[in-house]
Amino acid sequence: MTDEHKPHAPAPMVDEVSEFEVLEIAVRELAIEKGLFTAEDHQRWTEYMHTLGPLPAARLVAKAWLDPEYKKLAVTDGVKASLEVGIDWVNSMPTKFGTPSDYCNLRVLEDTPTLHHVVVCTLCSCYPRPILGQSPEWYRTPNYRRRLVRWPRQVLAEFGLQLPEEVEVRVEDSNQKSRFIVLPVRPEGTEGWTEDQLAEIVTRDCLIGVALPRPGKTANDPRPVRPALKPYHH
Amino acid sequence: MSKPHYDREHHAKKATGIGDPQCFKGEAPPPKFKVGDKVRVKDLPDIFYNRAQVYTRGAPAVVAELVYESPAAEDESWDNTENVTWFYSVIFKQKDLWPEYPDTFANDTVETELPERWLEPL
Repeated sequence: MTDEHKPHAPAPMVDEVSEFEVLEIAVRELAIEKGLFTAEDHQRWTEYMHTLGPLPAARLVAKAWLDPEYKKLAVTDGVKASLEVGIDWVNSMPTKFGTPSDYCNLRVLEDTPTLHHVVVCTLCSCYPRPILGQSPEWYRTPNYRRRLVRWPRQVLAEFGLQLPEEVEVRVEDSNQKSRFIVLPVRPEGTEGWTEDQLAEIVTRDCLIGVALPRPGKTANDPRPVRPALKPYHH
Repeated sequence: MSKPHYDREHHAKKATGIGDPQCFKGEAPPPKFKVGDKVRVKDLPDIFYNRAQVYTRGAPAVVAELVYESPAAEDESWDNTENVTWFYSVIFKQKDLWPEYPDTFANDTVETELPERWLEPL
């Protein structure tokens, strides 16, 4: 087992309950009390959300690398292209018009040898959850959100990604109703690969744009976890 | 006078099976800008909720795409969905947003979406 495949316990970036989480619990309990939805509804939606993950998006990228027609569709109509990898943005649970706050406008950002996209939501933490699952902890931190838009090269370097100056770094600030995934350039050394093989190297980090796919690399790098200033003990 | 009836599900009824922002398609007046137009982000007052980032205010940008029609966030947050407007994806040069951005990486850009009311021709 290589180092990057070693299982590590999913430790949170910050182990304290934020004010937003307290707010969510308070609003949720009020909504249940008022009868807007039931506790069972909430449990069902939560469990559904946790079934989502980045595999469909990886599949979408792999298909786009192999099929130029599909790539064209992905770049012009991400919602339609998602159907082919099993993701129906419009008719999915729980609302059937987009999961709450996700909306239904996926844009697939095509990288070129001279253009690299990276996605952030500076205002909150908008993320294409139907096709990527829950966002990683770091994506939601003020640290990433504040700094990426202003010092993208430095932040990418902290993720281990250093790009030459000829490559334009385009930060996509996801602030309205579109949600974004990155379609990276197909790496060298993948000639003749099947769709399954290609999908394996398209990790979540590649789809956000903080990493580039490369043969043999099939997992995200673990992120350093720093102790909380005000730790929360269960 | 009877209490006006408020249908709290009006958005759900409109968007179910169609999607949001797709459910607002065709409701906006004709777009004022086209792809390639040079625009500037207005610095409008923002006492309440909106989604036009402060760092973009006053900065020049280029329209990259007309993305969809929707009410602006500052209206929709108050459930005012009557003024549907075009949304534009615009691209800024990093240097125009942060004067201290290094010249070495002068090609670097930021792309984001704004409703029509936040943009003026440049």
